[in-house]
Amino acid sequence: MGSDAMAHDASTPAARDTKKKRGNRSAKLKQSKLDVRREQWLSQVKGGKQAKALLSPAAAAAAAGANSGSLILASPHPPLPRQRAEIQIRGGEPEDYKEDSVGAGQDVCSSDLESPMHSPVSYNPTVVCLQQHHCSGNRGSRSLSSGSSAWSSSRSVSDADDEDTSGSPENDDDGVLDDWEAVADALSVDDNHNHQDSGPAAPPAVPASCPELANASTRPERIKSRTRAWSPDDVFRPQSLPSLSKQASLPVSMGNCWVAMGIGSAQKGILSSPIPCPICYEDLDPTDSSFLPCPCGFHLCLFCHKRILEADGRCPGCRKQYSSAPSVVGTSGNEHATGNLRLFRSCSMGPNY
Amino acid sequence: MQASRARLFKEYKEVQREKSADPDIQLICDDSNIFKWTALIKGPSETPFEGGVFQLAFSIPEQYPLLPPQVRFLTKIFHPNVHFKTGEICLDILKNAWSPAWTLQSVCRAIIALMAHPEPDSPLNCDSGNLLRSGDIRGYQSMARMYTRLAAMPKKVLLPPCELVVGACFLTWLLG
Repeated sequence: MGSDAMAHDASTPAARDTKKKRGNRSAKLKQSKLDVRREQWLSQVKGGKQAKALLSPAAAAAAAGANSGSLILASPHPPLPRQRAEIQIRGGEPEDYKEDSVGAGQDVCSSDLESPMHSPVSYNPTVVCLQQHHCSGNRGSRSLSSGSSAWSSSRSVSDADDEDTSGSPENDDDGVLDDWEAVADALSVDDNHNHQDSGPAAPPAVPASCPELANASTRPERIKSRTRAWSPDDVFRPQSLPSLSKQASLPVSMGNCWVAMGIGSAQKGILSSPIPCPICYEDLDPTDSSFLPCPCGFHLCLFCHKRILEADGRCPGCRKQYSSAPSVVGTSGNEHATGNLRLFRSCSMGPNY
Repeated sequence: MQASRARLFKEYKEVQREKSADPDIQLICDDSNIFKWTALIKGPSETPFEGGVFQLAFSIPEQYPLLPPQVRFLTKIFHPNVHFKTGEICLDILKNAWSPAWTLQSVCRAIIALMAHPEPDSPLNCDSGNLLRSGDIRGYQSMARMYTRLAAMPKKVLLPPCELVVGACFLTWLLG
């Protein structure tokens, strides 16, 4: 016991020592990091102009890349267009269809599974669907031309013209609508394709032949949402999606509310861009933004106002003492604001509850 | 406490987003403690502090932003309103004129403004204040410039020549 205590005693100073050393070392490390940073900063400033000149084209390129990405989603999923091409190539081989009806379908299916790009889980339903499709098409009529026309009755004219040469590789790129998989991809991925009209025209025709198309047409959507989140201000963001961020949800819902109530766009404009409270940086809600506790017009949220009143009670904007009875609405020319406030309240009582 | 943390986090994000907004200020948050910040500010031009980079230490109270942050110079500076030994800063907005609407960034800006416009009538550094009050602008400027040179300028580090030597050796080794 005694020796234990001794040992303990003996060990603690050493431990403390090492701790101290470690602290020293970390402090030194921090300092050296800061020094490095300072030097970097200085050198950056020296070469700032050149760097800027270099940077701007790069930034532009990046912006362009982002743009194209949002437009056709080319960068997030390279597999999709390629897959489509593969399927088209397969679809363009007339021998497959003429010789065996079921085998062709299975062939497509198996090769689909084998191709390393496709994760089997996500593509399984489509593969099954594909197989059925091939079978039905082949059973109905064993020639390629009639089969393909059955699959996509709304093929564009140019495609129909090319049909006799559909086996040639040049044509494969054009045969966007050779099967529904391509249709589905064309809908989402290939907005800029030369057959722009055929993309949107296809979906009403295909469901008649394949009930699972509903799945297929939603699938690219799902992929999109998996790879890339919609930013609230994205132009391509589907309107049906709920706005998740708090910042966006408030003005949107209130905006809808205004529209529903038939109130002009002036108030809506106020709401569309929430100003953050300069104290806590939380977004001001409608009640807050019409709350003017000080004649200097400094906006802040009710919560911060209360905290300031509890502390020294001076307006952060002009450093004057808040009046003891803070006027919720300023006296000069704020009839409008009163109206706003009332409307906000009635609004919040309305569809939200 | 929660409010101060949230606000500091927002400020941190703001600083990250607008890194190049103010080229004279670099705000760095401590890796482990959001209540400790470090700032690097550049001495304003046409002052004796031009060309120097000054390090500031921020210690932020839990009642922030209702209470001002505590700021002091870590880099030695010869300025009437900065304590020569402790680096304490005499600035009204860091004391009674603080407003919660100020941010760490704006405090840095205020300190840069203070460097350019010293207030010799409320000195923390009496020598500096006396020089200015007696009208010896030249004396003040030369002293301030000297300390800027000594403390705030990046030293001519020995590394670049070393690197050159190593590089030359490597080159000879490659060629020979």
